[in-house]
Amino acid sequence: MVKEEQEESSNRPDNTAFTQQRLPAWQPILSASIVIPMFLLIGAAFIGVGVALFITSRDIQLQELDYTGDDSEHPCFKCRTNTEKCTCSMTFSIPTLFKGPVFFYYGLTNYFQNQRKYGASKDDNQLYGDLDYFTNPSTDCDPYTRDSKNMPIVPCGALANSMFNDSFSLSHTVNGVQKIVPLDGKGIAWWTDYNIKYRNPTLNSVFFSGTKKPTNWPKPIYELDTTDVYNNGFINQDFLVWMRRAALPDFRKLYRRITHDDYADGLPAGNYTLTIAYNYPVHSFNGKKKVVLSNVSWMGGKNDFLGIAYIVVGSMCVVMSVVMLIVYARFKFAEDV
Amino acid sequence: VDCSLYSPGQLNTFFSKKTFVRCVMVSTYTSLVLFFIPWAAMQDSVRGDGKDVADYQSFALSTQTSLMIVVSAQMFLDTFYWTAINQFFLWGSIAAYLAITFTFFSNGLFFVFTSSFPFIGTARNSLKQPNVWLTMFLTCLLCVLPTVAFRFLHINFLEKIRKFTRFQKYKAREEGQPAPAPYRPPPRRVSTRRSSYAFSHSQGYGDLVTSRKFLRLKRRPSLFGRNQSPLVENQPQHYRTITEEAEESQT
Repeated sequence: MVKEEQEESSNRPDNTAFTQQRLPAWQPILSASIVIPMFLLIGAAFIGVGVALFITSRDIQLQELDYTGDDSEHPCFKCRTNTEKCTCSMTFSIPTLFKGPVFFYYGLTNYFQNQRKYGASKDDNQLYGDLDYFTNPSTDCDPYTRDSKNMPIVPCGALANSMFNDSFSLSHTVNGVQKIVPLDGKGIAWWTDYNIKYRNPTLNSVFFSGTKKPTNWPKPIYELDTTDVYNNGFINQDFLVWMRRAALPDFRKLYRRITHDDYADGLPAGNYTLTIAYNYPVHSFNGKKKVVLSNVSWMGGKNDFLGIAYIVVGSMCVVMSVVMLIVYARFKFAEDV
Repeated sequence: VDCSLYSPGQLNTFFSKKTFVRCVMVSTYTSLVLFFIPWAAMQDSVRGDGKDVADYQSFALSTQTSLMIVVSAQMFLDTFYWTAINQFFLWGSIAAYLAITFTFFSNGLFFVFTSSFPFIGTARNSLKQPNVWLTMFLTCLLCVLPTVAFRFLHINFLEKIRKFTRFQKYKAREEGQPAPAPYRPPPRRVSTRRSSYAFSHSQGYGDLVTSRKFLRLKRRPSLFGRNQSPLVENQPQHYRTITEEAEESQT
């Protein structure tokens, strides 16, 4: 008898809180006094935030200029079929002071940078300056890995090959005289892209000797900006901005900032002329090109959706809390009957 | 004895068509909200300093983080007893997600495995923006609040509403007719004590086995003649029938 008891007790689990499932626990209960005030509070907070977002978004100024030239009356219509370098100018006017700092974006529509095969077609090792990948680019870049003579392409891949190459200049008409608005192209890409993700190999053109430029580029990568060595090669700001794939088919990318001299406070009201070096073809896929001038706020660019969504969800929460309160009152008193 | 482990089977709460349809509806709604709210909020958006935030990697990060938070919130709602272990694992899973995300997006891993970790810098650049956080907050609450509201109403008021409507019907009839006879379930031949075996949620196959269908010989054309089949050599099998009386005497 004693032996059986000892055998039993060796298999018996310990009598601790953990093994006997007696741990102290908190049990949240969805009671009326918690849920109804919670909904009301959330609703009120959301409406407040929504109103703030909506007002902020409303105050942001935005000007879009489509320069694809689809319309035959458009000044850039002649550039559509022209395969050589073509320049066109558009005039526009700004009705009131466009508060600074003003940001100059280029926008593309119907352009799917988020397509998987296209977006994955690049070699991160090459872009980091690893010379082994200069002579032997990764096969992710196919068919833009090597050119027709089997020379490796640097930077390889479809994403780099399709880099946007229109350039713009803006001038302000003051008393009949065209005054150039200075555009600042420094620091338009992410700090991490410029300093960490993309690196040039130590000496520029020497290591590019066995390689070729991408097929659709007019100049090789080490001639993107010959005036500034910190903006040349893989760390060129426009190149970095292009390589940051957009999530949606209608996107805009930062081109320049208007922060210098007379225009530091913004663009005064008046007539302006936009001169475009029209190189990038978008007609084959019904895309459109445009220039967007915008100022920003703490919540970013102009987007009414978030403000409206917050107001709508906040009102629904308030309505829901009122409904729950009615149900609670009705059936609480009904139970006493 | 705590019989709560048997109640999902008895009440058929997990494998019914109603539950499946409800699950599909909730999942569809959550998926649509998780994608379209960040999509709409990201249209033409930029950072507070004018730089890009509508890029593919930031969009992926914000959707992914919203999803994690929604799933964790659903788990929070489903956990009835919050012991120390539950707290550790539930909060720990969110902490682990954040730790892993920041590790994958860090400089160190990028330097070692360059082409495998292209998301470098995304968390640092997008998660500092208030509009990204506001988008994620809106998405998570929009996914979770309907569940909370429905559960609140269901738990607290379903019984009361049913009792109330039954009371109303009873009161309406009281004037004209005598009180209805108390509800008695129709007498069933099957024992009401169900076994805790695999088919606890349904009647199982007891009826089929006890219906003696197995004993009926069907007149079918046979492949072999009666004198040629190898089975002819065997003795016929005797079947032991399991009757109702025998079952009840066991329970």
